[in-house]
Amino acid sequence: MSNQRRVAIIASQGGLDTAYKVLNIATAAAAMDAEVAIFFTFEGLSIIRKDAAAALTMGPGQEHWMEGFKRANVPAIAELLEVAKASGVKLIGCQMTMDVMGLTVDDFIDGVEVGGAATFLDFAYDADVTVTF
Amino acid sequence: MSPIRVNRTIDCQGLSCPMPIVRTKKAIYEMAAGQVLEVLATDPGSVADMKSWAHRTGHQFLGTLTEGKLFRHFIRKSRPEETRAEQRFPHVVTNEELARKLADGVVLLDVREPAEYAFAHIPGAISVPLGELEARAVELEVLADRPVYVICRTGSRSDTACQMLADRGFKQVYNVVPGMCDWQGPTERTV
Repeated sequence: MSNQRRVAIIASQGGLDTAYKVLNIATAAAAMDAEVAIFFTFEGLSIIRKDAAAALTMGPGQEHWMEGFKRANVPAIAELLEVAKASGVKLIGCQMTMDVMGLTVDDFIDGVEVGGAATFLDFAYDADVTVTF
Repeated sequence: MSPIRVNRTIDCQGLSCPMPIVRTKKAIYEMAAGQVLEVLATDPGSVADMKSWAHRTGHQFLGTLTEGKLFRHFIRKSRPEETRAEQRFPHVVTNEELARKLADGVVLLDVREPAEYAFAHIPGAISVPLGELEARAVELEVLADRPVYVICRTGSRSDTACQMLADRGFKQVYNVVPGMCDWQGPTERTV
């Protein structure tokens, strides 16, 4: 396909399941040659924090999910983030939420850009697909 | 059953979505146009995903062989010009015209790669990959006075083949356009 597709994703919730939903769609879209951006806001910011591996869980009583992820050999969030970055997925942290939560860009993994709503909208206006998690 | 010639094989066994297509994309990116990639996977979702991936990226999904829990996917890296065939050979027939001619028992040469031919070809078509045409021209010369139809995927390689055959004295050569990508008639598989 000559016309490149554009996928805009908003990640506004935390938790391991949201991280998977967001990064799975993002890396698959990038593998299909789409231009992808993820806007991380509110609890979604936990996905790109340096301590995400420890912070992202399924919550109490949901441990069977962890076994399932392991059994199905689902890649780790850190691996999916690496794939996302390597395939050109743009990771945008929401400045306003960062201010509210007292976070700086140093709290995030390398490669995260910081921007406001307009930064995301500028990308999303021309998107073919927009997904919110 | 003839073995399928591939240029590269990647092992995605045990990997779940989206890793098989992520690895496929990386491998295809490193390969040369026209080469065939084999992807070994155990993720049942990869069966549908490989087709969708190929459709969206413009590469050619050839087929999947299932061996127990193992899926062997075959994908050919497209040449950029294949998406729109450049036709220069003047004598062309449509797929529909070819379908009517086949009933008369005409000669049909399929100049795609062996892996493409193996998964789906028109019954009776003779496999002569474009790259081997020059070397096999002598063997084909007995056909020089008969109507010869040449087919590939989109009419591009067959266009080149038609010109080569005409230059060698073939008198009635026809390029089938668009070719196998839009062929609605019966096909057979030899793998």
